[in-house]
Order: sequence, then structure tokens, then C-alpha cells
Amino acid sequence: MQASEAQLKAWMIAGLGGDATAHELLLRALVPLLTAFYRRRMRDADSDVEDLVQETLISVHGKRATYDRDRPFTAWLYAIARYRLIDHVRRRRLSVPIEDVETILMTEGFEEALAARMDVEALLSTLSPKQARAIRDTQVEGLSIAEAAQQAGLGESDVKVSVHRGLKALAARLRGESH
Amino acid sequence: MKNRDINTEDLIRSLSRDVPRVPRGALGRRLALGMVAGALVTALLVAGVLGIRPDLHSAMHGFSFWMKWTYTASLGIGSVMAVLRLARPNPQSLRALWWLSVPVLLLAGIGIGELASTPSRAWLAMWLGASWKVCPWLVLTLAMPIFIGLLWSFRRMAPTRLREAGAVAGLAAGAWAATIYCLHCPEVSAIFVLTWYSLGILLAAGIGALLGPKLMRW
Repeated sequence: MQASEAQLKAWMIAGLGGDATAHELLLRALVPLLTAFYRRRMRDADSDVEDLVQETLISVHGKRATYDRDRPFTAWLYAIARYRLIDHVRRRRLSVPIEDVETILMTEGFEEALAARMDVEALLSTLSPKQARAIRDTQVEGLSIAEAAQQAGLGESDVKVSVHRGLKALAARLRGESH
Repeated sequence: MKNRDINTEDLIRSLSRDVPRVPRGALGRRLALGMVAGALVTALLVAGVLGIRPDLHSAMHGFSFWMKWTYTASLGIGSVMAVLRLARPNPQSLRALWWLSVPVLLLAGIGIGELASTPSRAWLAMWLGASWKVCPWLVLTLAMPIFIGLLWSFRRMAPTRLREAGAVAGLAAGAWAATIYCLHCPEVSAIFVLTWYSLGILLAAGIGALLGPKLMRW
């Protein structure tokens, strides 16, 4: 269960008031949020995700004073998370050359993962963008319906219907092709 | 995986051991502290090295002293507002920065009035004054302590637009340095201030923009 903006904000404000328990609850609740945020953007780099989550927790803790109690908490949080991500990528680029994922999959001998991925993309591209996104978010990226809805700015039932209809259309297409 | 989970858990526990109260306005106070400390150094440099203008007392009864102070101080106040915003990771709109053009335009208006009431052969002398060669450089030099003070303040801040943050920090440092420099500088014409003071302030802002991405990272 993902903590709500109101809940996170309440913990943050209590923490700013010196409430260490609320602060600890806040940091704990941020771990799944940040993990999802970074995992979505840093596929195939779980240790980086773990590092980024920890670095961001340290930033959230160290930069608490820059939070404005009158403004949304998650906007502040994701501004920090985004900065940490950019900083991380920039630092890595300086010291380590990063190939794109496709190249890495080839050099590591995972061409089949590459092919599977391309097949999924090819199939999804036959759907409407909304259905394709709903399926990609929930079935490929592994987001919950709620997360996918929040990200796409849609209602949960809307996402559910898109996934359902999209999968049905894909199934029909696969049946048609295999016959 | 298990191991790393424990690390995050440990991290959270150790961070939660140190949760001091953060009063409202803590951010503003930290910025003010850095700026005032820097401004004190600048004031000491003006008083000790350049010297306070001997006619300060009578000058304070005149128009041009207050014209200069109003100009530099309003730029200083405006840029500090922008600094306050850019100190946060998700800054609010910076469109209010356009208000900084108001003092510039007002001073330009006064300058045009001055030119109109002065014979044109005296224009060059009025524009260059006695100190045009050193004025921008002095303003820039005097801005350094304030800029350093702001950098100290920013170590607790979370700017994400580092170039802009550096630029407005430089602008604020330059404007306040110019305000303090007014205690020394005896120049009186509006077009002198508009050109050479502004040039010094802009140089400070430019250097701030160059240094921001390097020095304000966190």
C-alpha cells in the first residue's frame, strides 16, 4: 500500500517539528516509492537503484530545511530524486562508459532477451497508445494499477479497462497470426 | 539482496537518530547569516582599504546618494528573493525577476533627464566620472565575500538549477556589494551608476553563473 501525499506530508512536518518517530516512518515509506522511481528509469542496474535510494534518503534527511510546509511534499521529494538521478548518471558517464541496453544485452549473450523485448514492443505498437502504455506499465514494468494510473494521469478503472481490452486485442491478434 | 535491505534499514535507523527541530524560516535565516557575514567583510574592506567618503554625512542629505542606494538595494532585495526560491529543489516561478527591470528603467529615466539638462560636451565626463575604470572591478571584488557567504549558506540548500542559482547568488552579492561601495564612491550621475555599477553587478552574476554548477553541487 503506497503512502498518500497527505500522510507523507504529515510525517514530514512532524519530523521538522522534531518528531524522530514520524521522520523514521517517513523515510521508511519513501523506500518503495524511490525504488519504483529509480527502477523504472534504471533497468538492469539494481545495485545502482539501491545506491540511489540510499543517497536520496540521505539528501531528504540532510536537506529537510529546504522543504516548504505550505507546498506539496511529493513535488519536493521527486525534485530531489530527479536531481540525484541526473547527478548519478553524470558521475557515471565521467568514469564509466555506458552502452545502451540493447548493446549490453548483445555483448552479454542475451540476444533472446533483446528479441523478446522487441517482440513485445512490436505487438504493443499495434495497440492504441493508451492501451499500449497501460500494458507496458502494468505487465512489463510491473507497476500496480494505482501506480500506473497515477503516472498516466488516468483513473484506476480507466487503466484496468485499457489493460483488459488491450490484452484481449493482443490475444486475438496472436491467435489470428498463429492460425 | 537481503544484505542491502539491511543496509537501507540501518541507514534509516541511524538517520532517524538525529532529527533536530527545523523552525519555519530556517532557510531564510541561514541565507541571511551567510550574506550578512560576507557583507561585514565587504564593509570592513570598504572602510579599511578604500575609505568611507569624507563627505558622507552631507552626501546623505543629497539626491544622488539615495538614488544610488535605492537602485542597488532594490536590485539586492529582488535578487535575494530569487535566491530564496532557487535554494529549494523545486523552485517556484522566477517570473517575478522581471521586476528587477523597474529600478533599471527608473534610473535610465533619471539619466535621460540628466543628459537633457546637461550640455552635450559635458556628457562624456559625466558618463565616465572619475572612476569608471575601477568602479566595476571594485564592485566585483567587493562582491566576493558576500558570494562566498552565500556559498556557505547554500551548503545546506538543495538547488537543482545550479546555473541560475549561481547567477542570482552572484547578482545578489554584486548588488549588495555595490550598495556598500556607495559609502566610498563619490560619483553622482545616474548614467555613471547605470553603466559602471551595473557592469560590476552583472560581472558578479556572470561569474556566479559560471561557478554555480561546480560549487553548488550536493
